Amino acid sequence: MALLLPFLVIFPMAGAVVSYIIGRRNKNARNMFANALVTVEFAVAIFMSSKSVEFSSASFCGLGINFADGGLRGILSVLCGFIWFTSTLFSTEYLKSYRNRNRYYFFMLSTLGATMGVFLSTDFYTALIFFEIMSFTSYVLVVHDETEEALYAGATYLAVAVIGGLVTLLGMFFMYHLTGTLDMRELGEIIKNVSDKKPYYIAGLLISFGFGAKAGAFPLHIWLPQAHPVAPAPASALLSCILTKAGVFGILALSCQVFMYDANWGFFVLIIGTITMVLGAVIAVFSINLKRTLACSSLSQIGFILVGIGMQGLLGEENALASGGTILHIINHGVIKCTLFLCAGVVYMNIHKLNLNEIRGWGKDKPFLKIVFLIGLLGIVGIPLWGGYISKTLLHESIVEYSHLLVNAGQSTLIFDIIEWLFLFSGGLTLAYMTKLYMALFVEENPYPEKHSSKGKYMNHTTTAVLLLCATIITVFGILPHNTLDVIAHCARPFMNSTDPAHAVHYFSFANLKGALITVVIGAAVFFLFVRKALMATDENGNRVYIDAWPSWLDIEKNIYRPVLVKILPAVLGCAAKVFAGFLEDLMFVILVVFVLVVRFFTESFEYIAEVGMYIFLNKEMPKYGEKREYGDDVYFSTFTPELHDEEKGFRENLSGALVFFGVGMVAALLYIIF
Amino acid sequence: MASMIILLPIILPFFGSFIIIAKPFRDRLKMRICTMSIVLATMFIALYAIYFSGVESLTVYRFASNMSLAFRLDGLAKFYGTMVSILWTATTIYAFEYMSHEKYEQRFFLFFTMSFGVVLGIAFSANLLTLYLFYEFLTLTTLPLVMHEMDKKAYHAGKIYLTHMMGGASLAFVGLVIIICYSNNIDFKLGGVLNPAMVAGNENILRFTFLVAFFGFGVKAAIFPFYYWLPTASVAPTPVTALLHAVAVVKSGVFAIIRLTYFCYGIDLLRGSFAQNIMMGAALFTIVFGSTMALKTSHIKRRFAYSTMSNLSYIIFAVSIMTLNGLAGGLLHMLYHAVVKITIFFCAGAILVQTHREYVKQMEGLGTKMPIIFGCFTVAGFGLVGVPPFAGFHSKWNIAIAALQSANPLAYAGIMVLIISALLTALYVFTVVISAYFPKTGVLENRDDTGAHDPPKLMTLPIVALTVLSVVLGFMPAQLMQLLRFIISS
Repeated sequence: MALLLPFLVIFPMAGAVVSYIIGRRNKNARNMFANALVTVEFAVAIFMSSKSVEFSSASFCGLGINFADGGLRGILSVLCGFIWFTSTLFSTEYLKSYRNRNRYYFFMLSTLGATMGVFLSTDFYTALIFFEIMSFTSYVLVVHDETEEALYAGATYLAVAVIGGLVTLLGMFFMYHLTGTLDMRELGEIIKNVSDKKPYYIAGLLISFGFGAKAGAFPLHIWLPQAHPVAPAPASALLSCILTKAGVFGILALSCQVFMYDANWGFFVLIIGTITMVLGAVIAVFSINLKRTLACSSLSQIGFILVGIGMQGLLGEENALASGGTILHIINHGVIKCTLFLCAGVVYMNIHKLNLNEIRGWGKDKPFLKIVFLIGLLGIVGIPLWGGYISKTLLHESIVEYSHLLVNAGQSTLIFDIIEWLFLFSGGLTLAYMTKLYMALFVEENPYPEKHSSKGKYMNHTTTAVLLLCATIITVFGILPHNTLDVIAHCARPFMNSTDPAHAVHYFSFANLKGALITVVIGAAVFFLFVRKALMATDENGNRVYIDAWPSWLDIEKNIYRPVLVKILPAVLGCAAKVFAGFLEDLMFVILVVFVLVVRFFTESFEYIAEVGMYIFLNKEMPKYGEKREYGDDVYFSTFTPELHDEEKGFRENLSGALVFFGVGMVAALLYIIF
Repeated sequence: MASMIILLPIILPFFGSFIIIAKPFRDRLKMRICTMSIVLATMFIALYAIYFSGVESLTVYRFASNMSLAFRLDGLAKFYGTMVSILWTATTIYAFEYMSHEKYEQRFFLFFTMSFGVVLGIAFSANLLTLYLFYEFLTLTTLPLVMHEMDKKAYHAGKIYLTHMMGGASLAFVGLVIIICYSNNIDFKLGGVLNPAMVAGNENILRFTFLVAFFGFGVKAAIFPFYYWLPTASVAPTPVTALLHAVAVVKSGVFAIIRLTYFCYGIDLLRGSFAQNIMMGAALFTIVFGSTMALKTSHIKRRFAYSTMSNLSYIIFAVSIMTLNGLAGGLLHMLYHAVVKITIFFCAGAILVQTHREYVKQMEGLGTKMPIIFGCFTVAGFGLVGVPPFAGFHSKWNIAIAALQSANPLAYAGIMVLIISALLTALYVFTVVISAYFPKTGVLENRDDTGAHDPPKLMTLPIVALTVLSVVLGFMPAQLMQLLRFIISS
């Protein structure tokens, strides 16, 4: 039974190779194979999720790899299996006209194995190994289109992934040094009993760097709005729905297991989460690209999840609501965003455009797609009766609960009031940008209609079924929360060290509905007063069109990160190296010159004496001292100057500086022997 | 005299190689068979000697009571001997195909085979004197290989190589003299051979001479500032660059440093002293310097020559931690780097032979045209960067752990250096890989790509075999570390 855990990881990776081999012969068979593979994987993940088993191989890869299933890991692995299942089924149709499909399938399946590895891992070492594999294999998915845009985004993605991975590694060194283990549970046990936690915080911060980068947490979010939209739509769904969750999983492990009930850590995650939540929503409102908006929305939703994680730390043992909200929002966001990205995929598959002005009105006569997208919208905004409402209510309640605790303790609640309002405000922005997408795609008339409005079939039965399945799940989650979502939350609680809430939450009570109502009001206000007014302009023909009003100087990636990494860092390092090397070279050069002069003096003197001797004894001409002689090419052993390569200015040419230390060594030896 | 068998793998290539040049071969196949049989015989005898003969030392000639020409197979000798034997055989197979595109094949194989015996001599030496002797030999037998092309560039490289090596040897000589003066028996012993009675009072002089000798042996290990010969020598044919400058010559330098530090001076004398700090500082500086230069260099062989320089200093850094764990980590990196770097050079050579391209920019789009070569290059590249679970990751991990355990402040800084260097490594490896697989649009259309396909089997076979080896080794670091700890202590 325990062997099924490595199976979950290795099976897709081996399957990737098989699919590549099959794909060389027969495209259809490859697609069928991939579909079958993800189905099996999904089934095994479901089967295993209810078992609580462990697998460890101590000798494998140095510190050994350790897997476990059950609880939160089981839920995440099922979510992973589900997202892969839907997007792989959709890939068949989406990629019909694509090139390099073999490569796509190969890397998609290997990413599946790696992601499973992250979710099942019980120690950071195992997590990091699979995390790195996942980063590299998913890079190929990001750049699959090989357009300039994709390559640029891919470079950012890879840079963030590599740097993030290295910083995490650094943190793990420190953590390992401090505690002697990297097992998540053991770390928690050790750190619980420590009085001075500062070094542990530093180690934890470093570890969370890489995971945070993958999750898209501020200020490491830069790659996300670029990389998610450029990938093929099914891959975007994977990146947005589940790969970000691998990062969240790392942060969750740090927050709930390593720094269990730790208020300082919780506050830190909360602040990061709040910034990410608001920032993502704001960028999304400004965006006029369908997939980019969805990607920014993911950013914002990750922020919501981080807020939940932060609240867990702050609430300590009373974190029932926060922990429930966190895990449910992970699930909801996964399913909902998958639905929305697949819808975007359907749009792109048909007209190969994503700009809102270009796709405007395309979905007017497509009721099925319209309804599915609407369900996604209602879900992600958090309208009662759809999935997102449940998790957002729990998250909101947990902030309120903490404020109550503070009031009881007689402390200021200002910060948490602000956070609560930012929370509701971000919810409102979610409504605004989603409505913007919906209006553009399904309601408005396109002032410049193109031929693309194909009346006939715009997607096949498989895609229809997949979308239907996703939409159903969102709705069922929302209508029957006690039978579905509460059960899931219950399973995940042991991981987060929380218990079920004392009494079942009344999701549809007035107090909870009020939050949704405020959100809708804010959203409507933003949409009508800001999106319709400020973000649309009248073009030369008198039509209202969407404009990209995001100020370009706010792009921290272009203005700060890239210059620092590409220019400043190498410049500083290079300069330091150059100065040091230059100093040594100059020193060598001086010694060399002196040495050559001495040698020349002696040789010339000897020659002079010899010639004087010859004058005396052999009647030769009387020489003049220091007269120029023809030395030929090679008198100083190496006068040949190499073609100077611009990148390397090594030692000055003659004797290559090497003779100097030859001499120095000899002199040293002599001096030693003499004294 | 069962232990006489140690001598055989050292002497056989030396005399055997003369057959290669003495006999005017009419056809290439016969020359290949002849070379291959010498190399194979040497390898098998060496491996037999390593695994089936005892550990007692064989004294060939005694100059004085404490100076002798002697060989012994202790754990470290076995480790290095095995590594060299296997990689040398792989390179020979590769060189057959590669050298058929070059001139003077016979001369090449003469010195190439001869060097094999010399490196085994270095591996098997039982004391510093013997090691020094073979160390000098190695310079002489490899010089014709470096200057193989015999054009102006090659002459220049040869001169640089020779002067550096001579200079380095002269510095190392100081160490040798000191070791002989301050000990009764110079046969390598873990913990040092110095006579404590003589050492007392002269510690700082000894530490200073250690530094002089360290930099002397460090010339072959391309430690800063004595690195210049390494990138220059990349004008040599690729099998030479691959084997000599990624495995044999440079690793001999590192091997000598290990012998000097752990088996001659002894770490008790050096640990915590200025000598350790300077040694570590030099290694750390070289790591960053090498990686930075590699990133700035666009000639592919020179780029990876700089990379070699940086990676050698990883090993020297690990050695300079001066704990047994550090040494084990360093040896692990020595093994991993040897396998990975030789693969990368083989790939660079294969590209050179097939397409005559040497610069990174020209590699754009070759990934799909030469799938095997670039597949192996990518895997080896991952190993070099240290992406888990590929080879380099585990060795760097172990080095960093050893550094943490040593509680030396400079070693903590070393961990930062390792991370920075890993980042730089990622940059200079992945720029090649990415541009090979994802060329900019429009590059491929107006370019002549004749010959841009995988080379013949004789060339790809060793590359693929070594890639597989690196992956396999990458999956068993725990076993290797256990083995290495055992090797060091035996």
